[in-house]
Amino acid sequence: MRKINLTFTLNGKPYDIEANPGARMIDVIRDDLGLTGTKEGCSVGECGACTVILNGDAVASCMVLAGSMQGADILTIEAMSELKLGNLLQESFVEEDAVQCGFCTPGFIMSAYALLKKNPDATRQEIREGVAGNLCRCTGYIQIVNAIENAAHHMREE
Amino acid sequence: MLKFRDYIRVESKAEYEKAIASIEGPVLLLAGGSDLLVQARQDDRYEDHTVVDIFGIEELRTIEDTEGHLVIGACVTHEAIAQSLLVNRYAPILAEAALSVGSVQIRNHSSIGGNLANASPAADTLAPLAVLNAEVVILKDGIESVVPLAEIFEGPYKTNLGDRDLIVSVRVPKLSADVRHDYTKVGRRKALSISRMTIATLLQTDENGVVTRFDMTMGATFPCPMTFPDISAMLVGKRPTKEDISEVARALSAKIPEIAGIRASTRYKQPVCRRLSVRILQELIGDEQHA
Ligand SMILES: Cc1cc2nc3c(=O)[nH]c(=O)nc-3n(C[C@@H](O)[C@@H](O)[C@H](O)COP(=O)(O)OP(=O)(O)OC[C@H]3O[C@@H](n4cnc5c(N)ncnc54)[C@H](O)[C@@H]3O)c2cc1C
Ligand code: FES
Ligand code: FES
Repeated sequence: MRKINLTFTLNGKPYDIEANPGARMIDVIRDDLGLTGTKEGCSVGECGACTVILNGDAVASCMVLAGSMQGADILTIEAMSELKLGNLLQESFVEEDAVQCGFCTPGFIMSAYALLKKNPDATRQEIREGVAGNLCRCTGYIQIVNAIENAAHHMREE
Repeated sequence: MLKFRDYIRVESKAEYEKAIASIEGPVLLLAGGSDLLVQARQDDRYEDHTVVDIFGIEELRTIEDTEGHLVIGACVTHEAIAQSLLVNRYAPILAEAALSVGSVQIRNHSSIGGNLANASPAADTLAPLAVLNAEVVILKDGIESVVPLAEIFEGPYKTNLGDRDLIVSVRVPKLSADVRHDYTKVGRRKALSISRMTIATLLQTDENGVVTRFDMTMGATFPCPMTFPDISAMLVGKRPTKEDISEVARALSAKIPEIAGIRASTRYKQPVCRRLSVRILQELIGDEQHA
């Protein structure tokens, strides 16, 4: 198959790459760009481990073909420590014991980031809905929702 | 890695028409990809297809407010529909159904056009669009035409669209503010699963409690989206009593074996449909219900 040229911004950095158009966004991010913070769990859009932010929206990168990256502004977990809200979320996840094995954590943080960017005053119910597409097999979700609520709280205070 | 022959991304309808004219062999339209990526992983069925990615066509991404209709572009995402002020105002049942699709990650990258073209009987937008009397705008052989929603479906996962036929938009007649609605979805596993049965209902009464409009249908139940004028006629012109409501519930649930045939699921679906229909109608008719 003929490769396609993709130009996009990822974590604030411009990219101009050749990619296989049959690749999914997660393949490009992990294999072509070597950014392995984004995890692949179910591969069918159900677990949210692969969540990244595409033009401000949380998407499951296992369900998006490479072509959608054309011209896009993309954020992955690797950018979070450089961003205020991302940082707050990471700290809050640790403080609230929302991380056990950690496999789901990048996905949850990306979903939470997209949600709170759009809706900084998200209620607990809105937070639950915002991460309903993310599964965690270790925690009971309560710690995760607490962590997101906490980060939102800190964000509003600053 | 998915396998297909070639991939072209188009950014306007004009580019789309040019692309399909020059492609040899079968075309595979790609919108958000949330159905295609699941299907294409199963085998190499699209190996000889040229993918035409239409998700970036701006003209297919708008929701227009015309005099009588909302015209929703085929590539508008479920999330955009769920959040749209226009849709919430003029077709709130569709906004509610769109919000119930998958998770926000899926809704952000999946379209109403794909939901129709995939023709899954369980697709969430179908029953609401059926009761709304929606129409579909199709671009075929360079000509755009408007067809009633039901006309594009031939059976489960089967439409009469050719590989180069494009759904351009969905035309939804605008509801007046006094039409009440209910969208009920049962049998979902976690937040994501495709529904096992849905019920879409629109009901309008005049100042005396007399029903002036009534449309009710199920989704994830029939091979294609259906509407039932005979069921509508059971309430229109009446101030519904408890008995009227029970009869509607009975008649509606009787459609399940009548149309879908008797299957393993019928035994479960029929009573669920009957009970839910009673509850939905009681709630929609509310205080105006007469003994
Ligand atoms: C985890 C998960 C959960 C889901 N949950 C639900 C749910 O709760 N309810 C529900 O209804 N659905 C659900 N779905 C399916 C839903 O995402 C799709 O039906 C979606 O609406 C399809 O849109 P798309 O843009 O992704 O289509 P694509 O996958 O890009 O395309 C689907 C089909 O439509 C064709 N097509 C697309 N656009 C057009 C067009 N404009 N004209 C002609 N043909 C076209 C394509 O060629 C293809 O055959 C779920 C999917 C996943 C992965
Ligand atoms: S790996 Fe993408 S949603 Fe599970
Ligand atoms: S911490 Fe293990 S899956 Fe969530």
